[in-house]
Amino acid sequence: MIDLSRLSATQIRDGVADGVFSAREVTEAALGRIDALEPHIHAFNQVTPELAYEAAARIDEAVASDVVLPPLAGVPVAVKDNMNLIGTRTTCSSRMLENYESVYDCTAVRRLLDAGAVPVGKCNLDEFAFGSSTENSAFGPTRNPWDLDRVPGGSSGGSAAAVAAGMASISLGSDTGGSIRQPGSLTGTVAFKPTYGRVSRYGCVAFASSLDQIGPFARTVEDAAIALNAISGHDPMDATSADRPAEDFTATLTDGVAGLRVGVVTDLLDADGCAPEVRDTVRAAAETFAALGAEVGEVELPSTAHGLSAYYVIAPAEASSNLARFDGIRYGHRVPDAEDVLDLYMRSRAEGFGPETIRRIMLGTYVLSAGYYDAYYGQAQKARTLIKQDFASAFERFDVLLTPTSPTVAFGIGEKADDPLAMYLSDIYTIPVNLAGNCAVSVPARLSETERLPIGLQIVGDYFAEPTVMRAAAAFEAAAGFDTTPPVVKEIQ
Amino acid sequence: MSNRKEVRAVAKDRLAEVLQTWEAVIGLEIHTELTTLATKMFCGCPVAFGGEPNTRVCPVCLGMPGALPVPNEAAIEATVLAGLATNCRIAAWSQFHRKNYFYPDMPKDYQISQYDLPFCEDGHLDVDIGAVYGPPQPDQESDYATRIGITRIHLEEDTGKMVHVGGSEGRIAGATHSLVDFNRAGTGLIELVTEPDIRTPEEARRFAQKLRLIWLCLGISDCNMEEGSMRVDANVSVRRRGEGALGVKAEVKNMNSFKSLHDALAHEIVRQAELLESNGTVVQETRHWDAGAKRTSSLRSKEEAHDYRYFPEPDMVPFEFAPEWVESVRARLPELPDARKTRLASDLGLPVHDATVLTSDLDMADFFEEAARIAGPERARQVSNIMLNELSMHLNAAGIGVAASRISPAMIAELVGLVDEGAISSKQAKDVFAEMAETGEAPGAIVELRGMKQVSDTAVIEEVVERVIAANPGQVAQYQGGKAGLLGYFVGQVMREMGGQANPAVVNEVLKGKLDG
Repeated sequence: MIDLSRLSATQIRDGVADGVFSAREVTEAALGRIDALEPHIHAFNQVTPELAYEAAARIDEAVASDVVLPPLAGVPVAVKDNMNLIGTRTTCSSRMLENYESVYDCTAVRRLLDAGAVPVGKCNLDEFAFGSSTENSAFGPTRNPWDLDRVPGGSSGGSAAAVAAGMASISLGSDTGGSIRQPGSLTGTVAFKPTYGRVSRYGCVAFASSLDQIGPFARTVEDAAIALNAISGHDPMDATSADRPAEDFTATLTDGVAGLRVGVVTDLLDADGCAPEVRDTVRAAAETFAALGAEVGEVELPSTAHGLSAYYVIAPAEASSNLARFDGIRYGHRVPDAEDVLDLYMRSRAEGFGPETIRRIMLGTYVLSAGYYDAYYGQAQKARTLIKQDFASAFERFDVLLTPTSPTVAFGIGEKADDPLAMYLSDIYTIPVNLAGNCAVSVPARLSETERLPIGLQIVGDYFAEPTVMRAAAAFEAAAGFDTTPPVVKEIQ
Repeated sequence: MSNRKEVRAVAKDRLAEVLQTWEAVIGLEIHTELTTLATKMFCGCPVAFGGEPNTRVCPVCLGMPGALPVPNEAAIEATVLAGLATNCRIAAWSQFHRKNYFYPDMPKDYQISQYDLPFCEDGHLDVDIGAVYGPPQPDQESDYATRIGITRIHLEEDTGKMVHVGGSEGRIAGATHSLVDFNRAGTGLIELVTEPDIRTPEEARRFAQKLRLIWLCLGISDCNMEEGSMRVDANVSVRRRGEGALGVKAEVKNMNSFKSLHDALAHEIVRQAELLESNGTVVQETRHWDAGAKRTSSLRSKEEAHDYRYFPEPDMVPFEFAPEWVESVRARLPELPDARKTRLASDLGLPVHDATVLTSDLDMADFFEEAARIAGPERARQVSNIMLNELSMHLNAAGIGVAASRISPAMIAELVGLVDEGAISSKQAKDVFAEMAETGEAPGAIVELRGMKQVSDTAVIEEVVERVIAANPGQVAQYQGGKAGLLGYFVGQVMREMGGQANPAVVNEVLKGKLDG
């Protein structure tokens, strides 16, 4: 049996290419692992064996006919269930879209599959990506492979858990305020949020259009880079996607960090609510970088103090508008006995949406209302501009910035479920990056001393500085030597 | 028919009466679908009227989950072109906003539109008003020109169409269920808003007609009011003459022709004035024009007004229009109707009235210019005359436009040439035209076939003249005795002898030579 938790995407691809194993065998191994682990973890809303075997068969045919294999040939991948893929349901973990069948493909997913990847399923998320724990799913929470009583983070918790548990080598998540990086930190995976515009948003059900960005989860930085290679690039279907020449994000992985200017963001480290172990992890990481030859210094991002407030105005505002289309008219949940169109709208939406979704729609509707717009949305946009300026001046002095990804390690299921504000604070370090639009990765740094749970390091780069971030992440990964296989998973197996 | 005319005359008199003491204040909102674009505003679906429901749709214009809008550059250029043609300032920086409201014909439940940063602002059109009723002009019979300010022109997407089933005339009242056709959803739509500068229904009509002509000239829309590709809504209020403050306004919708626009405004002005005269109050509301019943009725009151929660469209980046780009669009402006009218009058010597009529229809103007080109500029007036008389009457009778007629510019040029060269008389030309219109034959061929060719050969005419003189010695004596009026009698005799085909000028000349000599 192939142990997928021990093989990188590159190793799988090379193994398939060299005939060590077939794509079908890899697929069987992945689906077998899902069979064994999924009852404990619930990372998936839908497992897609038919699509997977079909894709694997195409790869095996290619191997047989000796054509050059694409970079992710035979690699099992999972995608967050807010991304469209023909042949699957795209539910957004919502009753509203429980039976919604995709009618077209999300560009990033299509590109991943065109690179030879084998789709094993659609991953659980907080409903419409509203949350930081994957507990806000209409179909039940996903559990953290490192501790099944804890959350995997969110909203891309299913995608993170699938990769952490070795049910897929690579997965796609979407990150609006930290929804890739925070679960990455909580599940010990490499989790990359690209620069806004780097990856097409077409086909990913919009949460907040000016913040959303699709990115990869992987167990190694190299795999994340290969996945990013596959999904990035201009898309004529997304007017906000950047038209830039293609780049190979694996090119800088072995460059080392000698001379790299690394800034530790001290005011974020000192923020209330940051666990001492998390703070220590970032300090230790800075020392690691210094030892590797980087020029390490300190920097402050004072405006990021307003990040959370600005985010909880802008993101719900856009979400309230983006989610208006779920009205029961053309698709999605519709009450069967509506008296008139208003009744149809109100009851279909009240029944179809979960509590957090309704909370955000109401919040967003409120802040955009006549008389409140300037006080909320206008002010939030000003804060956003200040945060951008903070990053801009920081990147005049530094190539990358170090912060925690999450203020704490994975918390218990139910622990913050009834306290939205405590939950919102989970994203305090990741949100500023979405507001500014630059790129960042969470790389597993170490396990916490007492709870033996992963702590991630966030490495933040400037706009389109993915190669620099990859370079720093790869060097840190090698130095940290983090074992990405959760012990719990070993036990279940 | 005559009864209906009478009703109209009465209504017109009543409006004129009302306008003696009341002043109407009218602003228009004109939506025009960019029907000549190949594709919709934010997706690649083709633009066309009608078709099987929901066949010209895709994930984007259906608002499927995850689909994104990509702006159609050609639509933005068309809007800027419209702005330049109406003397607007083009924004240096602009963006789309989302207008949020729920309605089943709106796939995303928000409309991508523009809010405080429209593409075009501060324009105007000068409109010539024919002889009309009512002040402000003291001399009601005289023509005048008025400048109508244009507040803004912005670009947005059209909605789908609701089809209400089970009620009467497709209206929602009494319907058992409703269907939605999204073929139209996402079609580029420009909205032009005027200043409240319009004072009479006639001014409103002329403005809308002129605007339509300009849009057609720019080629940005087919401007079909019946099919709804050009939709005119009006805000109307009245105030006593001399009063400064504006009255409460009503918005009038559903005017599907220029005549409806005029009649609806006339009705609404009279309604409001009468209401105020009987100590009533005008309610701010939207009113629906019923062209059959010739009245407006309340559609919804302003208390139900929406809070549209406009905010900048985050799926698109803002637009920056470089001055050079704007100039490059300006360079593509075609000759506009006003300029064309002036040119036809000054270069080809047409009376201003004739030039105005010809250029008020793009096809007629094109037809004229082509015919005049073939006939030669010295014959332009004759071309114009025949077009404004015979051709116009024929087209009116047939109920078709010139483009649909079988008569070509070359045929008109040929006909004018035949008259000008003396081959046929003007009277014969009318007969030739009639046959040409019926058969589509070229005028030369008709003349040939019918043996209509005019005889100008002096020798032939002399022979007949001599015969006529010889046969009428009495009349000759009277003529030569001073009764000059008898010349017409001789001309008639000669023409009759020659079956009407003699050139009258030559006959005159020969007769005079023989009789006077």
